[in-house]
Amino acid sequence: MKGASLSYRQQEKRGVILFLTPAIIVLLVTSVFPLIYSLALSTFQWNMLMPLSAPKPVGLANFARAFVDVEFTGALLRTVLYVVIAVPVEFVLGMAIAFLVTARIRGLPAFRVAMLMPLMMTPVVVGVLWRFLFNPEYGVIDWLLQAFGGHAVTWLAGRATAFASILIVEVWQQLPVVIFILAAGISSLPEGIFEAADIDGATRWQRFRLLTVPLLRPVIAVVLLLRIMDCFKVFDALYTLTYGGPGSSTELISLFIYKQGLKFFQIGRATSMSWLFLVVVFIVSISFMRQVWKEQAY
Amino acid sequence: MEKHVVRQTSSAERVQKQVGRGLAYAAISAICLVMIFPVYWLLITAVKYGADIPASPPIFIPWRLTGENFFNVFAKQGIGLNLFNSIVVTALSVLFLVLIGSMAAYALSKQALSRRTTKGILIWILITRIFPPVTTIIPYFMIIKLLGLIDTRASLVLTYVSYGLPFAIWLLLGFFQELPKEIEEAAIVEGYTLSQRFFYILLPLTLPGIAVTAIFMFIYAWNEFMFATTLTTLKAKTLPVVISSFMSDKYLDWGSMATMGTLMIVPIIVFSVFSQKYLVRGLTFGAVKG
Repeated sequence: MKGASLSYRQQEKRGVILFLTPAIIVLLVTSVFPLIYSLALSTFQWNMLMPLSAPKPVGLANFARAFVDVEFTGALLRTVLYVVIAVPVEFVLGMAIAFLVTARIRGLPAFRVAMLMPLMMTPVVVGVLWRFLFNPEYGVIDWLLQAFGGHAVTWLAGRATAFASILIVEVWQQLPVVIFILAAGISSLPEGIFEAADIDGATRWQRFRLLTVPLLRPVIAVVLLLRIMDCFKVFDALYTLTYGGPGSSTELISLFIYKQGLKFFQIGRATSMSWLFLVVVFIVSISFMRQVWKEQAY
Repeated sequence: MEKHVVRQTSSAERVQKQVGRGLAYAAISAICLVMIFPVYWLLITAVKYGADIPASPPIFIPWRLTGENFFNVFAKQGIGLNLFNSIVVTALSVLFLVLIGSMAAYALSKQALSRRTTKGILIWILITRIFPPVTTIIPYFMIIKLLGLIDTRASLVLTYVSYGLPFAIWLLLGFFQELPKEIEEAAIVEGYTLSQRFFYILLPLTLPGIAVTAIFMFIYAWNEFMFATTLTTLKAKTLPVVISSFMSDKYLDWGSMATMGTLMIVPIIVFSVFSQKYLVRGLTFGAVKG
């Protein structure tokens, strides 16, 4: 009897391993192996565009150079600026709208569909579409600005306005995610506490500051983490909207590394920067996750 | 009872509440308008006559429509092949993702492996999800090149399966964990093997979860651009790669741009309208459950 159950257990285990194998192989081939290969490449100086050029081993020189490379640090700083502006704007607007829609309104399905539209749109299409909307000659945005007595803006031509443009597109496309997650968080809060606060005569602001925000903290941490991570990944819409220009004013980190590696083929330089970028992403995400886990321990 | 005592609403208070409600609806409508307008503008531009597109003032509600842009992109610009590539690559990717993903999710939902192993695999999956794809694209490109797979649909399917897999497993795991354990136990008593249980009993029961995952993976593979533009040059180009060529202002064919954009987003809009509830669930997955 015991022997039979043991063999059953072994059979189960073998089956489970067999079922996991395809996934593990795929993930090994496409995440672990490229990362190791990339680490190896990062210790060479190699311009693939030069005919007959061979990789020249340079040790850690690429990494050392990256720290003083103004193009790289510039792209990182621009990404930080992008995060620091876009994420708070999305968060504040998202929180306000999430409150409006969770306060028992009619027509919620219609609202949901409207919010899904930007979110589901192909980012490459978003880029070209907004290029059309921002167009100074026949774009709708400038026409509306003038119709309401404002001045036309050459959105994508100036450095500052181009950066504003990519922020506008970012908020337009990603605000719905923030709304959805926060709204789901708010509606999952226990009602009883709020009723008790009402009886105690708490004002709306007090209720928000002293009850909602602390209770929502894990959800808020997840939203912020997701948005920050996605800002690091921004590529498609940026590629078709500005391609990093004018100059390098809208070149965020993902696009910058992509260009170094796959346009200029500076393989060693690009892979070493990829690794530094990964380290940054790791530190940010792990510190956020710790925050979430700590909250859950309560 | 107590509520009545606390909330004795005077008429002034009721008016205030009505006004607040009206303002809330106005704000929500305004936001919806801002969200929808660019999408509307894309769709409407696709069916406008060439002369009506750059008109000033802009024609917000066109009084004449045409299919000439659609004729142009297929007959003159030959995007039929690209559309075909997009459809084949997306369909195969979704198929493999759902199959491999649900097998892995099922295996991870069981307690046959030690807790530490399972947890380790899950954390690894989570980490690979966080990776910005640009950090692996250069070595990945060189591997595909070494394998001689540049400009093939197969290379794109391989890419989407591997980069979509962490999210697919993550989503599906929740659905497999929700299944009552008794169902599988009954099947074990009946003498079903592991794969019989999976394919005949559990997989049909998780169909809603599989549908959600399939839609997410569809959107991912259908929209993906970075790898598509890196790994293809001519024959295997998908629609997003073709659309990206409109980024140059010198090529002012907004009608074709809008038409291709429409071809890309219409299938997604159809899917998302029909499955909005599930999609929102997928988007907020984990965030709220913690």
